[in-house]
Amino acid sequence: MIFLFYTAAIVALIATIAVIISTNVVHALVYLIISLLSVAVIFFALGAPFAAMLEAIVYAGAIMVLFLFVMMMLNLGQTTQDEEKEWMQPRLWIGPVTLVALLLVQMTNVLLTQDVDLRPIEVGVLEISVLLFGPWLLAVELASMLLLAGLVAAYHLAKK
Amino acid sequence: MTSAMLFMLLPLILVTATAVVTMLMVAIKRRHGVSCIVTVLGLSLALVSLYFVLPSSTQELTPLMKIDGFSVFFSAVILLSAIMIACFSYPYFVNLEDHQDEFYILLSVAVLGALVMVSNSHFITTFLGMETLSVCLYGMVAYPLHRSAAAQYPMEASIKYLVLSALSSGFVLFGIALLYAQTGTLQFTDLGQALTYGIGPVPPVYFVLCCLMIVTGFAFKLSLVPFHLWTPDVYEGAPLPATAFLATVGKIAMAALLMRFISDSALLVNEAIVFVLALIAGASMLFGNLLALLQSNLKRLLSYSSIAHMGYLVIALMTVDRSADSLGVEAVSFYLLAYALMSLGAFGVMMLVSDSEQERDHIGHYQGLFWRNPWLALVMTAMLFSLAGIPLTIGFLGKFYIFAAGVQGAQWALLFTMVVGSGVGLFYYLRIVYGMLTPLDEDLLLPVAGLKELLPHCLLFLLLALLLLLGIVPGVLMQWLAQMASAL
Repeated sequence: MIFLFYTAAIVALIATIAVIISTNVVHALVYLIISLLSVAVIFFALGAPFAAMLEAIVYAGAIMVLFLFVMMMLNLGQTTQDEEKEWMQPRLWIGPVTLVALLLVQMTNVLLTQDVDLRPIEVGVLEISVLLFGPWLLAVELASMLLLAGLVAAYHLAKK
Repeated sequence: MTSAMLFMLLPLILVTATAVVTMLMVAIKRRHGVSCIVTVLGLSLALVSLYFVLPSSTQELTPLMKIDGFSVFFSAVILLSAIMIACFSYPYFVNLEDHQDEFYILLSVAVLGALVMVSNSHFITTFLGMETLSVCLYGMVAYPLHRSAAAQYPMEASIKYLVLSALSSGFVLFGIALLYAQTGTLQFTDLGQALTYGIGPVPPVYFVLCCLMIVTGFAFKLSLVPFHLWTPDVYEGAPLPATAFLATVGKIAMAALLMRFISDSALLVNEAIVFVLALIAGASMLFGNLLALLQSNLKRLLSYSSIAHMGYLVIALMTVDRSADSLGVEAVSFYLLAYALMSLGAFGVMMLVSDSEQERDHIGHYQGLFWRNPWLALVMTAMLFSLAGIPLTIGFLGKFYIFAAGVQGAQWALLFTMVVGSGVGLFYYLRIVYGMLTPLDEDLLLPVAGLKELLPHCLLFLLLALLLLLGIVPGVLMQWLAQMASAL
């Protein structure tokens, strides 16, 4: 499991960096799908198979493929690619990289000083369902109203 | 979930039913009037039902909802504001070259989000309520974007609000996740110990950072300086009913939530958090009032004034603690009610002289209003006096309450800033009143909605009456609030 976790984590990191630095939008999106799939594997390794499935189906499956279709339909072509290349100047990276490096140092520090025991507890579909339809019922209902509001607003703004 | 618990949720169920029924009516036949009436009736029923659910002590409905006297009080203020805005929306939207019905559906669902925000002490419900309110507001702010003469910028305003609101939600969510990682609970629990000594090896600064992230997100939505940059543009670009909704319901729900978070989590034991809150309050009072000085657009002016008013409110929020004689909770409640009444009045007058085709939001539009329509000018003057905090109005008492709470908390520097800010504020409020008194040679085109729309005028009368009544004899309300504060 530990081996699986580290493999997936490295794949996720590489894929995410590739998302940022690739100039072709379609390539970037394919890398993003890989990154999400490896996050799903991480969920699985941590003992949450249901969350892993949802991540794979909803994010990598539905949303990303939708994005991909839109990008392919827009057919952005060579001009955007050149534009993107122009935006990728090394000096723009200095600020973000410094900040991220600080965060990395801080996180390594925290992880090294703390004695963390990662023993996965399996959380299956049954446990989640019992929670969702028991004490968390109101949250589910509320989320449905949230989606309804989004639907109505999107319908109104996007028509014609 | 027992039937008694369901009964306690009756206001929320009624508001949800209102949205669903409006949507079903639209599916059968679109009628602007019917949608408006259904919405107003549904929300009024919910308002009436609050009287029956008012509990004598705090009621926990599953871990997610918590209903007590204050949640009922804030729910009542929110529902009252929403009903009035729905009534004012009808004359405003009647000439819109587009469907109007969706606005009322969004309004009902937004009210649901606001009601959830004021009646919980759990991070999940907090977040869901906040998002429900925000998602509806994106739609409401951009509502008139299909009309032919898009002179204003509803889409720009909506995108700005969307991006910044999503960012602030991200901050809140990150703070919640970090807190959950250490405390293992999503309830607003007492963090006093953790903020002072930490938990195990985790130092207190970790918890301070988490809480500050959550407070930052809330400050974004309350448009406190330095998180205020979206406010003037969104207020200006949005149609007036959406602006009024954002300014009243949005702010009340958020402030009530922040109050509960501060009091339940005992944030004020930490000096750093108190210091940050004090900085935010001081900056909001100063910048809000100073930036409002030079505005010639009434919506932008009111947006800057709202920044200043939320700054005053933070002074009272900083005195919300659990000691029995603290005035903080009462001051916040009273001030929010006062703020709702006077904002609704000011925006109500603007809505009556505007419609969706042309918004009359420039100060010049109101020049000489006293000589053309004394009634509207009188209401506007009373609202502006109240916003400025002149005695005999509820705005004065609200400020007085905050001042008393600040004295109790010994926040002398902030109180001094408040006095200076109010002095500056007096100038720009009175400038509008002066403009309304200046007679005009030629009659500027300002087709004021006539008396044929009787209901909005009655509502303005009601607001004016409440403004003066609660400003002169506030005793009953104050006693009630004190009683609830002691039961908290």
